[in-house]
Amino acid sequence: MWYPVKLAWRNIFRNKRRTYITAVAIGLGLASLIFSDAFIIGMKKNMIQSATSSFLGEAQIHQKGYRLTREVEKTVNNLPSVVKSLEGEDLVDRFALRTLTFGMITSPADVNSVLLVGIEPDKERKLSRIDDAINRGEFLSSETGRDIVIGSKLAEILDVGLGDRVVATCAQAGTGDLSQEMFRIAGIYTFNVREMDTGMAFIPLKKAQQMLGLENDVHEIAVKFKNMEDAAKENLPLWQKYSQEGNEMVSWAELLPDLKSVFEMTGIMLMIIGVILFAIVTFGVVNTLFMSLYERLFEFGVLRAVGTRPGGVRRLIILEAGAMALISIFVGAVLGFLLTFIFTKTGVDYRGIEFAGSTIYEMLYPVIHIRQYIIYPLAVFIFTLIIGLYPATVAARMSVTDAMRKSL
Amino acid sequence: MEEMNVRKIKDYIVYTEGLEKTYKDNGLEVKAVRGIDLRLKSGEFTAVVGPSGSGKTTLLNIISGLDTATRGEVWLKGRLLSKMKKRELADFRRDNIGFIFQAYNLIPVLRVEENVEYIMLLQGVNKLERHKRVLEILDEVGLQGMGNRLPPKLSGGQQQRVAIARAMVSRPALILADEPTANLDSKTGGALLDMMKELNRKTGMTFLFSTHDNIVVERARRVITLQDGKILKDEVKER
Repeated sequence: MWYPVKLAWRNIFRNKRRTYITAVAIGLGLASLIFSDAFIIGMKKNMIQSATSSFLGEAQIHQKGYRLTREVEKTVNNLPSVVKSLEGEDLVDRFALRTLTFGMITSPADVNSVLLVGIEPDKERKLSRIDDAINRGEFLSSETGRDIVIGSKLAEILDVGLGDRVVATCAQAGTGDLSQEMFRIAGIYTFNVREMDTGMAFIPLKKAQQMLGLENDVHEIAVKFKNMEDAAKENLPLWQKYSQEGNEMVSWAELLPDLKSVFEMTGIMLMIIGVILFAIVTFGVVNTLFMSLYERLFEFGVLRAVGTRPGGVRRLIILEAGAMALISIFVGAVLGFLLTFIFTKTGVDYRGIEFAGSTIYEMLYPVIHIRQYIIYPLAVFIFTLIIGLYPATVAARMSVTDAMRKSL
Repeated sequence: MEEMNVRKIKDYIVYTEGLEKTYKDNGLEVKAVRGIDLRLKSGEFTAVVGPSGSGKTTLLNIISGLDTATRGEVWLKGRLLSKMKKRELADFRRDNIGFIFQAYNLIPVLRVEENVEYIMLLQGVNKLERHKRVLEILDEVGLQGMGNRLPPKLSGGQQQRVAIARAMVSRPALILADEPTANLDSKTGGALLDMMKELNRKTGMTFLFSTHDNIVVERARRVITLQDGKILKDEVKER
């Protein structure tokens, strides 16, 4: 082993207890950073899944301007070719066509405004969670029937139950004439999201197109990717491909800017944890190295006296800092992995909690990523070396005779 | 005239002229060394004696370049120390001066042979040569077979032998020993001094001791007595 490395390695074990305490302190900081990162990845994944799988989809295709005005006439352009193209898309797992319009639902007891959504029941069942969220009755069974699925809060407002009849009213495309149809309540769902449970109703696509006078046109194509992470990749050619001929394809990040902001905030939170960790590293390393330095002043004096250059002393202290960092990283990585691993098995139960407009439906599992064991340890190592420069420079600049006089 | 002076300086391993050292202690000016002219020829075995505070250690520190004089100059092997840069001085010290301290000051985490070979590592001596020289010097100081031990496992006398081996292994021209027997009993101290004297005879290295121990004074061939930072007496014993 290179002599200075050997000397530095042995030196840090001269006071084992101090070295272990410092290593554990830094290691705990690193472990918390690793765990926080894993937890945040898991939380993001869970929240995106919750937000996109309930109804939204991971991406959507509309006619440009539709999202802003919600005009009934603004349907997806060249729908047959878009659908054909989507069917051959490698990255896309599935998609579903929808119409959306604001309307009224009337019962003998009350009336309420809703977003009336026309859906393809078979495709929607596999893409969104409306089917899973039904706690009374059943999902739509055909694309042409007169069944309707409403939220539990809306059912309360309208004072209706399964099998009851309600009237849906909306304005037709082009003429603006009112169109009314009677529906039978087939299912009642609960998403635990107020807007969805109160303000949405689902009817078969064909019936919705008929009410709106849209023939075969739709307002929205909800898309689900084979790999959810692809939906966040802004540089995929797919976004350009479907943002042509007056259409636009947008990801969940654009559809849910609040969620995106929350994720940015979690990034800041992680940075704060990082800053705290590096403050621990700073105090830990500086304290340990200075303690060790002042205990061995005479020794440094002797090393200098026998011909070690100031740079040699500086290098020795930095190597000691590096050795300390390696032990701390080992402790931190092992603790971080164990902690994360345990929670990947047990999960964290945040089910039912609404956060940033999105309800968490499933157990939250931290995600172990190789990056957590490369970037953070590397940052700790480099930072420790940088911090070590301070005591190293003090030692290197110390007068030899002073050092030999000041031995503790 | 100047050329003559240079030649004169080169005749000595240590040549000092008008050395003075003043430092401040709690705001008070203390003159530790006052105008010392010291000349040591190669192979001398000299002791600087005097009571505590007479300036012995300060003188040794200035001669070795560990400390600087307030006034005056030091030439070692004809080289003027004040003209050297820090790094150059460190290399010069490494190659030309061996140190023996009162408290041995070995590196406790390095084994005996690693302590001894440390200076040769700094000098860039190859591994084979280092190993050979370490074995030779350990043999000379009576520490055969102890190369693998750690210093804290050795007695005071053995540790000082390691310190002597460390000081001599790079074959420096000058060995400076600051109170080398102060922590040893008289028997061990006497044996070590005899060993150093023998090494001085065999190798021709110059030894300069700072001491107030009679064990050293008895064996020194030249005794310089300091008082209040000045040379009071400079005696060369008859052989």
